[in-house]
Amino acid sequence: MPPRISITSLARSIPYRPKPSVQWPARSATRFSPAQCRLYSDSKATGTNDRSGRLDAQPADHVSEEKSKVAEAMGEEGPDMSRGTPVEEIVKGDKAAQEKLPKVMKDKLKASGNAAPKGSRSYSTMTTQTGANNELDMGLVDISSASNAPTTPGLKFEVPSLPLPKDGHVKHRYDPVVEQVTNLLMRHGKKSVAQSNMALILQHLRTSPIPTINPAKPLLPGAPPPSHLPLNPILYLTLAIDSVAPLMRIRSQRGAAGGGVALQIPVPLGQRQRRRAAIQWIMANASKRRNVGSGRGSFAQRIAQELIAVVEGRSSTWDRRNAIHKLGVAARANIVLPRKR
Amino acid sequence: MPPSTCLRSFSRLSIDVTAQTSIAQRLGRPQVALFTTSATRHATAPKRKGMTAAPKKGVKSLNTKKSRKAAAMDTGKRPAQGERKALRKRIVLSNNNALEVSSLKNLSKDNVLSEQNEGKVMGLPEEEVVDALRAVDAFKATQGWGLFRRPAVLMRKEAIQLAKLLREVEGSRTGQQKKTIRRILSGERMSGKSTLLLQGLSMGFLRDWFVISLPEAQDIVNAHTEYAPLPNSNPTQYTQDTYTANLLQQIQKANSRFLESTKLSTKPMLDIPLKPNATLKELVAVGTANPEASWPVFVALWNELSQPGRPSIMLAIDGLSHAMRNSEYLSAEVKPIHAHDLTLIRHFVDHLSGQKKLPNGGIVLAATSKSNSPTSAALDFCVEVAEARQNAPDNIPQWNPYKNVDARVMETLKDLNTDSTDLDVIRVGGLTKNEARAIMEYYAESGLLRHTVNEGFVSEKWSLAGMGNIGELERTSVRLRI
Repeated sequence: MPPRISITSLARSIPYRPKPSVQWPARSATRFSPAQCRLYSDSKATGTNDRSGRLDAQPADHVSEEKSKVAEAMGEEGPDMSRGTPVEEIVKGDKAAQEKLPKVMKDKLKASGNAAPKGSRSYSTMTTQTGANNELDMGLVDISSASNAPTTPGLKFEVPSLPLPKDGHVKHRYDPVVEQVTNLLMRHGKKSVAQSNMALILQHLRTSPIPTINPAKPLLPGAPPPSHLPLNPILYLTLAIDSVAPLMRIRSQRGAAGGGVALQIPVPLGQRQRRRAAIQWIMANASKRRNVGSGRGSFAQRIAQELIAVVEGRSSTWDRRNAIHKLGVAARANIVLPRKR
Repeated sequence: MPPSTCLRSFSRLSIDVTAQTSIAQRLGRPQVALFTTSATRHATAPKRKGMTAAPKKGVKSLNTKKSRKAAAMDTGKRPAQGERKALRKRIVLSNNNALEVSSLKNLSKDNVLSEQNEGKVMGLPEEEVVDALRAVDAFKATQGWGLFRRPAVLMRKEAIQLAKLLREVEGSRTGQQKKTIRRILSGERMSGKSTLLLQGLSMGFLRDWFVISLPEAQDIVNAHTEYAPLPNSNPTQYTQDTYTANLLQQIQKANSRFLESTKLSTKPMLDIPLKPNATLKELVAVGTANPEASWPVFVALWNELSQPGRPSIMLAIDGLSHAMRNSEYLSAEVKPIHAHDLTLIRHFVDHLSGQKKLPNGGIVLAATSKSNSPTSAALDFCVEVAEARQNAPDNIPQWNPYKNVDARVMETLKDLNTDSTDLDVIRVGGLTKNEARAIMEYYAESGLLRHTVNEGFVSEKWSLAGMGNIGELERTSVRLRI
């Protein structure tokens, strides 16, 4: 399958024509039209998505067309329109435009330029985030989203500013990690007790001193500096959990190896499953900790201390994860992939 | 006729069984069976140790024994006595992670009673007020002081109301009759009653009043400290020497400046000799050092404070309903002692009921509690009536005649049912939206609330917090309690 070119995300429409000899008809039915492939999620009627037919809503000419028009008006000879636009040349030195390039071209640019330093880890700890944004959630809600939608007459209430805030859905209004940890903390179906424990954990993280990161146990790449963590306890919690979350689990298939030995097969985990494994390790370690105080907050305190230990690299959870990963690497030959046809 | 064995059994009562057995053993007689012989008949020979039947062939036996290796014993050092409780009750007043709020102004002697402060968050000055408040145990472990860089309070509507009362008392100083104002703080759970009491205390400290605070009425009545009848009292009252000595120490720490600078002007009748021209601090030190003399010292101190020219007094108690019922103590007749028969509570209640006046003026403040309050029907009813008088004077509740009435409490609080404004109720309700906005901006500036504080957000949280209940507001916005 050819890589999908996301034309909707380009600031200006740059037609990508890898072979100048192939010319698509101007109004071809097979033409990759942005209006047809409009994603359900991007509901903002801007640029090429706007189908209102207003003059200012019509898409701007791409670079070569614009240049040829200008040249025509000036009475000069413009670029040859029968040939493709040399995109690489145009975006050279223009950082903002380079970011909007399709992935293939970006990779090409990167390969020719300076390559990123290779990590020292023998395996990758990166997985695809299921969330919309690829960076860690910094917990800043509604800081940047300013609604500049024009007021429409005849509406009783204001038009909601899109995209909706991430706590806009009643069933997903809380942070997914907090919700998952709360549910895993819950015993005997007592959710409100679990919620108050969760609040105590976050409060403990908030008042604890700034953690010192152990370079031998690196956190997720892109993690904020440790001084930012206590002020954002949800991020602290997410970071601790995601940093020790295992990538796979080891499934023991009986009878597959022969000789009564179970065949160990690494199975990849989804994001939620990875977090679940990490939370349960952390909770198991916390319950092994010594109970120093008395009263209701002590379990929450132990979990919070364990989370801090994870971020500081003191926790045995790291060894546990590394062991799983090592085993997974060793058993990678046992994975049977479906045969390609 | 019963057989002779039974008669013999009867004659040997269980009391002298031990004596009988020794005789029986000496004589070598078999022990006589008592009424039933089934126990001996069914008794089987004791099994020899280590003899277990071999497992049957082909049958799996269930091994229920724990693993040979015993669970690793926790051999670490246990926390010392009282350490766990100290950890639980620890008061933290600072969070080094929270940001310093640059716009935060301190309360001071000049601006503490000003009405300009309404709806502003003001810091409590460290050396004068915070230490004194800590000394009188005004901060509670459940309050959120430990989340912020330093203690600060919101000057809400009710706090300004309290400030006005302080000003009223101070203004009446020139006249002959100095005012004694009594107030009961009531309101929903987590609406900030104890914090308002703390604000009242801090106003008292800043205005150089003499502050006596009973931090928790429950600690006085729950029979955790020793008590003794007060000689020559009728009906008998009871003193609590250890508690009073501790209270004197708190008073001494909180009001040390006044106590150091003031000399005795009366001659206290104490068993322990005081040097002439002693300061009040030395008087209090006597009570602290000798718990058995603590109550007479407290009385002597009160006499000193009643002399003309002494500062006004702020007398405060938290958890009033504990003081309005029978205490956990028992009298010599094994009857429960009413809390009003304990000298400290009696002292407070006399001033709350208006039976005694503060000669140099002052405020008697009592905070009720909604989370730790034993039923005191009379108190609840009186507070309800007083609230109804303020809000709906044509719909005043009636006493339910089927309830037990505590006549002493009714007598104490009867002023709540009259039109006099000396004893009244301050209803601590929800914040207004402006106040909510002020405190939420403070949260955001402290770095604890990661959200732009705009009108929509404030109204959302205000509504979620039950129309501006400040405790709930803190819970939803700062403590992340879902």
